[in-house]
Amino acid sequence: MKPIGSSLSLLVLLALAGATPARGQQPAAGSWGEELRRLRGGKSGLVRLRAAPRFAAIVAEREPNNTVATANGVVLGDQATGVVNPPGDVDTWFVDLTAGQFFSVDVDAFEAGSPLDATLELIAPDGRTSLAFNDDFDDFDSRISYRIPTSGRYYVVLRGFGATGGPGLTYAINFGKVACDAVGTELEPNGAPGSATPLVIGGSGTGAICASDGDPAGDVDYWAFTARAGTTIELDVDAAALGLLVDPFVALYASDGITRLAFNDDNNGDGADSRLQFSITTTGTYFAAVSSLADPGGNPFPYTLHLRSIAGGPGDPITVHAANVGRPLGLAVGSTGDLFAGDLTGNRIVRITRQGGMTTFASGIQSPEGLAFDAFGQLLVVSGDGVVYRVSPQGQTTRFITDAGIPIWVAVAPDGRIWLSDLSDRSLRRYSATGRFEARFDAIDIGGFGPGPLAIGPSGEPHFSNGNEIWKLVNGQPRRVLGAPFVIWGFAFDVAGNIYAPSPVAGRILLFDAVGTTLADPFAVGPDAPQAVAFGRDGTGATEARLFATEMRIGQVIEVNPAGVAQRGLPMGFVPPAFTRDIAVKGLLGGGGLSAADLQLLDAIGNHNGRYDVGDLRAYLITLGGAPSAAAPAQRRAASQP
Amino acid sequence: MSSARWRFTLLAAVALGAACSNDPTSGAPRAGTLTLRLSTPRSDDGALLFEVSGPPIDTAVVVNGSLQLFTRRADGSTVVGAVVGGLTNGALVTLRVPDVGAAGGYTARVLEVADRQNVLRTSLAGYALTVTP
Repeated sequence: MKPIGSSLSLLVLLALAGATPARGQQPAAGSWGEELRRLRGGKSGLVRLRAAPRFAAIVAEREPNNTVATANGVVLGDQATGVVNPPGDVDTWFVDLTAGQFFSVDVDAFEAGSPLDATLELIAPDGRTSLAFNDDFDDFDSRISYRIPTSGRYYVVLRGFGATGGPGLTYAINFGKVACDAVGTELEPNGAPGSATPLVIGGSGTGAICASDGDPAGDVDYWAFTARAGTTIELDVDAAALGLLVDPFVALYASDGITRLAFNDDNNGDGADSRLQFSITTTGTYFAAVSSLADPGGNPFPYTLHLRSIAGGPGDPITVHAANVGRPLGLAVGSTGDLFAGDLTGNRIVRITRQGGMTTFASGIQSPEGLAFDAFGQLLVVSGDGVVYRVSPQGQTTRFITDAGIPIWVAVAPDGRIWLSDLSDRSLRRYSATGRFEARFDAIDIGGFGPGPLAIGPSGEPHFSNGNEIWKLVNGQPRRVLGAPFVIWGFAFDVAGNIYAPSPVAGRILLFDAVGTTLADPFAVGPDAPQAVAFGRDGTGATEARLFATEMRIGQVIEVNPAGVAQRGLPMGFVPPAFTRDIAVKGLLGGGGLSAADLQLLDAIGNHNGRYDVGDLRAYLITLGGAPSAAAPAQRRAASQP
Repeated sequence: MSSARWRFTLLAAVALGAACSNDPTSGAPRAGTLTLRLSTPRSDDGALLFEVSGPPIDTAVVVNGSLQLFTRRADGSTVVGAVVGGLTNGALVTLRVPDVGAAGGYTARVLEVADRQNVLRTSLAGYALTVTP
């Protein structure tokens, strides 16, 4: 069994694909300095976001200082100067710091005309533990801002990138505390909704994320705006786009300033920057919050927040079907129309009625991921512990499939066969309806991530996401169906073969036709971070033109606007045969009545050994709910008249 | 047949029947039940397909209510059946027959066995069915 951590870390990797900015040597566009210069042209007076350039002393390096044992000493407020020479030279400095200080160590080299491309590393008082590293922050110059956890002697190591060195590679290092001053149009303090800086739809705000000693929890900038019901707004943060290797995120809060409506970090078409869209259903005041993933320990950086009104999708506005679901990921719909959602952190499966009432259906399943109903009406749950569990209609849980490495998603085909995506070897695995392994299909060659979430298409072929694309298996061979600009999670088909694809990182649901043409992007922007979608079913089990989605970040199951759902859902899972039980029995006992396709189906339901036998009959009877088994013996007594 | 001859024949038949029923040692048929017994080397059998050939069988009923039985008369002398459930050694099916004295004339055969995961046994070695009074 593989550890949960590996599974979840891969999940996170998949969800945050592209979240980490590349550590390239050439800033992509603009620069820190350029951005500051641009901001200085704004209405407010602007001040550099770095330690004040007044130094207690200027200390020149004394070689050798290549190790912590030979480090040169400075005090907070000093500027150190030196040269990286010869190639491979390492200059080490120590400084005594006090717990709680927000330490800033900032290199000035490239901006001062030196050809040096420096790297900085902060070492803990033990002389070994690396606490922080930075390469390029301000053009090629490096900077580390770090909140000191314990008092002691810390070490700062400066190197030339690529072990370069030479007599002209001079530098200065400014040792100080992070100082924050007013930047842009934000009105500090604006760290709470009550002190938010006003913003209007169609406008932009500029500011800086800058944590300091006086702001130990980190800097959060709140912006307040008014929006009317029916408006779909977009909050778009630009910081990394300015060439800064920073990672801002943005969140939207309701009028109470507490309820988080939406959140985005990265991968919404803006690289490390963040952008979200949201459908406003109630006229009122809303709050946008901008901060940084690195806060409270990251370098300060300026940003621009754009607030726009955009056109919503046909699935907007959304409605909340169930709240307080924990962190729901997988979603399946039962034969009576109840929704079943896996609560990732609650280690449980919740059952949500058509009216929205919620109860715990099964508990003790670690980090439930993919969900699907099997041919026997039992719920299959892929767990983060590497096991696929089977949950009876009464909520009793048993280990079912245990031979997959890191299973993540599950789907059941019309013939009852079970498909798993397995991240351990990047494959799809096929099992009989009774859980017997049948075949493995490699998905490495198609690239991307995964295979991740999967669903069975109209032709009965498994479709799966490898990140930004959906592929399908045709006669065992992967074929690309579509590509999207964002990572796709648990998608679903309607009866026309159209694909509803949620993208958590983009914060919306997209709609594609059966050959991958985009029909609506967005289909719905109301969801914050939709993880999985599923079509509803009525009380008879028939699929409806209602689409539900799990919302992991805000712990909800939502429904998109049904007026925007053109087709009912493709029936999912096992499709019971058209023939009767008596015909199935008669066929086994030599009485005929079954077609070749019927025989094949019965075999697939059962043991899939190539012919219809008594094991297949037993499996088929179980699908009807009438077969005795060791686990749940039937009470019915059968008499037979030959 | 005339009315007189019909009454004579009926009386004769009744008299003959009475005579026979009073004589347990005679070879006349006696309706009753027989038991189809299973001998299995396994403890996780979940379904069994079988065949019983021989004299007529009126009905078949499982001896254990937790089992399900399905049968079909293949021809005048053969019944094919399937039993589904947790099978164990011993009595499996009760056969109602017109002549229990003909028990020795029945031949029972195991055709297929599946385990409780629905997997078909690849070997039927050690399996046997017998029909006993």
